[in-house]
Order: sequence, then structure tokens, then C-alpha cells
Amino acid sequence: MQHPNDGSVFRSSFGAHDEPIKNAFEDAPKGRRTMAATSDSGSHGKVKWGVAVDLKRCTGCQACTMACKLENGTPPGVFWTRVLEKEEGTFPLAYKVFMPLRCNHCSDPPCVPVCPTGASYVREKDNLVLIDQDQCIGCHSCVVACPYQVRFLPASDKGYYDDQTPYENASYKRWQAGTAQKCTLCVHRIDQGLNPACVETCPTRALIFGDLNDPQSEISMLIRQRSHFQPRAELGTDPCVFYLT
Amino acid sequence: MQPGEKAVSNAFNTQPRAQEEWSWLLATWLFLGGSGSGLFLLSQILQLPAQFAALAWLLVLLGATTLLLELGNPLRAWRTIFRPATSWLSRGVFFVFFFIVSGFFFVGPTFGVPWLSWLSGSLLASILGWVAGVCALMIILYPGFFFLSTSRAIPFWNTPLLPLLFVSYAALGGTAVVLVASPYLALAVPAQIDWLALALTAITAVMIAIYLLIMHRAGHSAGESVRLLHRAPLGWIFWIGVVGAGLLLPLLVLAFAPAAAALAGAGILIGSLLFRYCVLKAGVYVAPALVVMAPDLSRLNRTSSDFAREYAAMAAQSASRPR
Repeated sequence: MQHPNDGSVFRSSFGAHDEPIKNAFEDAPKGRRTMAATSDSGSHGKVKWGVAVDLKRCTGCQACTMACKLENGTPPGVFWTRVLEKEEGTFPLAYKVFMPLRCNHCSDPPCVPVCPTGASYVREKDNLVLIDQDQCIGCHSCVVACPYQVRFLPASDKGYYDDQTPYENASYKRWQAGTAQKCTLCVHRIDQGLNPACVETCPTRALIFGDLNDPQSEISMLIRQRSHFQPRAELGTDPCVFYLT
Repeated sequence: MQPGEKAVSNAFNTQPRAQEEWSWLLATWLFLGGSGSGLFLLSQILQLPAQFAALAWLLVLLGATTLLLELGNPLRAWRTIFRPATSWLSRGVFFVFFFIVSGFFFVGPTFGVPWLSWLSGSLLASILGWVAGVCALMIILYPGFFFLSTSRAIPFWNTPLLPLLFVSYAALGGTAVVLVASPYLALAVPAQIDWLALALTAITAVMIAIYLLIMHRAGHSAGESVRLLHRAPLGWIFWIGVVGAGLLLPLLVLAFAPAAAALAGAGILIGSLLFRYCVLKAGVYVAPALVVMAPDLSRLNRTSSDFAREYAAMAAQSASRPR
């Protein structure tokens, strides 16, 4: 089946469309090793990836939402990252406030101990909270346990249309229907020294990605300089996402 | 409607959201598992006829089947044995498994399973009965602990009252099964069972009232949960099903027309299924921490000297920043 959009959508994400999926990211530009690569050399010992969200810069354009969907091929209704909106004020001074939301990769994640199989785990190397989808039984515990509502459990791999488009056909192979899925901070890109897709795409540079253990990384310096908060820190999750206000 | 359309409409605003993952299937398990285990314990304690223990075993088995259906990947369910150290769900699977096995060996001899006849009346059989009893107690309790442990973000579940409510509903459900089934099975049960049901209904009603009052006063998300129980879709189920059919009707029937005890039992069973459903559906998350930042109008009418001062400050700051 050929989809009219086949060529353009496909090549922009994966290169030639008959390549196997595991090679999909090897075409990524080698020259743009930005924050992730630089902080690798600066940190001593364990890396702890984090994201700083500059609320003064976020315009609520949802570019990160779309970049995440393109990069990770998430099913309809599932947004690993999304920007919450709320209207504030009254008529002459009405405005919107935004809050980009993604997995916080908590240091004490509530979703990991509730997992009955150990499919949900914290990667020792860099503190990322990940899911081994081959082990997940789809019990929904972690989806309910997450205070930030950023875990998802799609029941089927049905796409946006009756048949899967070629893009969906290729990208939906990265997750399994009936198992939990969540933001991985684009672990496949991080492992190549690239930034996550949402950070790379943010037009106002409101998202800053880096190593929280490295005192010289941009994110650490921003957290030292700016007033900030962690989302729902009172729940004791110690999130690795910081909101700069 | 496209799949997930409802989720999208809620995903981007900051309205209080109730969890949408668990619904009828889990409520059915909580109902069948709780009532079945309650019935098993009741039949052990009151020395009811063996048919009730068998009925309890069947109820739990049926509930375990619905629990399997709830999984996204039922074929991998065996993997739940790996994390009893941290996960209450994993522990619960152990309790259910041991209950089904020991319960089978306990009720099997009475119903003429031929290769189990050597067990009947032996000491081993009664030991198995009590092992199954302990497992039944844990099947009643573990969902409460499970909700406690998963519910850092759902204040409505984050209370030790919930395991207590599950216990009282399990006892109530077990009694109700006795009330409903004894006329059909033509079995002799103690006459005090009516009074037991009446007392348990009254106790449960008081506990639900206390639970809702506490949650209402807890405010924010917990208060939103209570409001959900009063509003249109869930409110009908709660007030007519849980309170009306499940508590008031049995109270009236048992107090004034004990001859219709089976009707009271049916009401209790309906109410206790709907109670589980209401508790699940009213699980409202804590709201995301949205920061309200008003636009800074003072910066709009700056003069050129203001700009010069700001640029000088920025230059000084970037010069002094450590690299």
C-alpha cells in the first residue's frame, strides 16, 4: 500500500525507507553533538540527565509535542511530552500560562516499585527511567502510579486511519501494543551524543537538556542562577525536570 | 470517534483528571475476590456447609480470570512472580495462586474428586483450609495496600480507611452471598446470619460516611473525588446503586422484613460491586503545578537610559560568569 505522503514524511525521519528500523538513527547529523556530548566529558562518574524548562521562554507552540510524535511514533492520543495550557486573568489582561510536561525521570520514581515484573526500571548508567517492553504485562499499575500522568498504555496499534500508513507501519514497531510506554528522553539519540528531539526542536530554546551531575553544564548553571521548582516535589519523587520561573 | 480522542481533549488542559485506566474489569475482580474471600473466611469461622467454601473458591477463580482479562498482555502474566519484594500486585498474585491451590485441595474431597478422597477429614485438610483462609484474608486486604502504594498522586486512595472499607465490604459481600444462595441451595445456615448482615451493613454505611467526610475536608483532589461522586454520571451510580440499593434497602429489609433477606443480599451484592467501581472511577490525580506568571508590564515603557543600564548589567554578568 502506498500512502501519498510516503516519501517526504519517511525520508525526513528515517532516510531510505527499506532500511531496517535499528539503523534508522544512524543518518542523524554527526556534526551537531551539542549539550549531551559536551557534558559527557565534563561529568565525573555517573551521569544524571535532566531537562530545564524555561517558563519565561515557552510560548506554548507544541513544537516539542509534534517533534516527539515524529521521533517516537507514538499512537493516537498518546503524547509523551505535551504543553499544558491555562487561561489566566480577565479581559484587558487575559493571558495564557504554559507548562510543558514530560516524564520527569524521577530519582525516586513511584512507577518503578509498583511494577510486578521489573519491566519498569531505572538505568544505572544515567538515571533514566525506562521500560523493557518485552517484560511488561500491561497491568496499568505504573500508569496510575505516575503523578504526572505521562505513562501510557495503548490497547492496540491502530493508527490514525483505517490502515496503517507506511510511516506508522515503520515507527509503530518501536513499541508494543498492550504494554506501558513513556518518554525515554530519546535514549537512542542520547546514546549517540545527540539532544532529545523536543529539546532540539524548541524554537525559543525554552528546553535545556544536560547532565545534572556536571556543575559546569548549562542546565546546572541555569538551575544555580535562576529561581526554579520541581513539579510536585512534595510527593517525594525528586524529579530531574526543573522549571525555571 | 477516533481512538484516544477523549484522552486528547483532556490531555492539554489543567482540569482535575480522574484515572481512566481501571474500570469495570478491575472492579469486578475486587468484587468477586473480596466477596469470595469473605465468604470463605465466613464459612471457616461459622462452620457453614461445605458448599459455601466451594462457592467462594469458584468466585475467586472467576475473579482471577477477569484479572487476567484486564492485562494488556495476559500471556505474560506469569512474570508477576518476580517482584514480591516491592510490588503489592506481585504479592497479590501469590495470595490468589496459593488460595486457589490450597482451596482446591480443601474443597475437592467434599465434592468427590476421586484422587483426593484420601484427604477428607484428615488433619492436612484442615491445615489446608486455614492456609486458604489466611490467603483469603490477604486477598481482601492487598488491594487496599496496593492502592495505598500506587497512590502517591491520588489522595482519594491514599488513606488507611480504604483497606478497612475493603474488609468490611468483603465481610458484607460474603454474608450477602450466604443470604442469596441459602434458599436456592436449600442449606441450613445459622439464624443469626440476618443480624450479622444487618450489623455489617450499618457498620459499612458509617464507615463510608466517615470516609467521604474526611476526603471532602481534605480538599483539592480528594474533595474533587467526592464531588465526582455527587455529579451526574458517577453520582447516579453512587447514590442509587451504592447507597440506595447497597445500604438503605438491605437495612430496611433486614430490619423490617427479614423474610425477604435474599432481596437484601442481592442489593448488597450490587452495591458492593458498584462501590468498587465508584472508588476506582473517583481516583482524581493531584493537579499539575502550574505557575501563574502575570505579564510584566513595567518593562513595556522603558526609556533608552533604562536599556543602557540593562545592557551594561548583562554585559557585566556574562563577563563574570565562570566558563
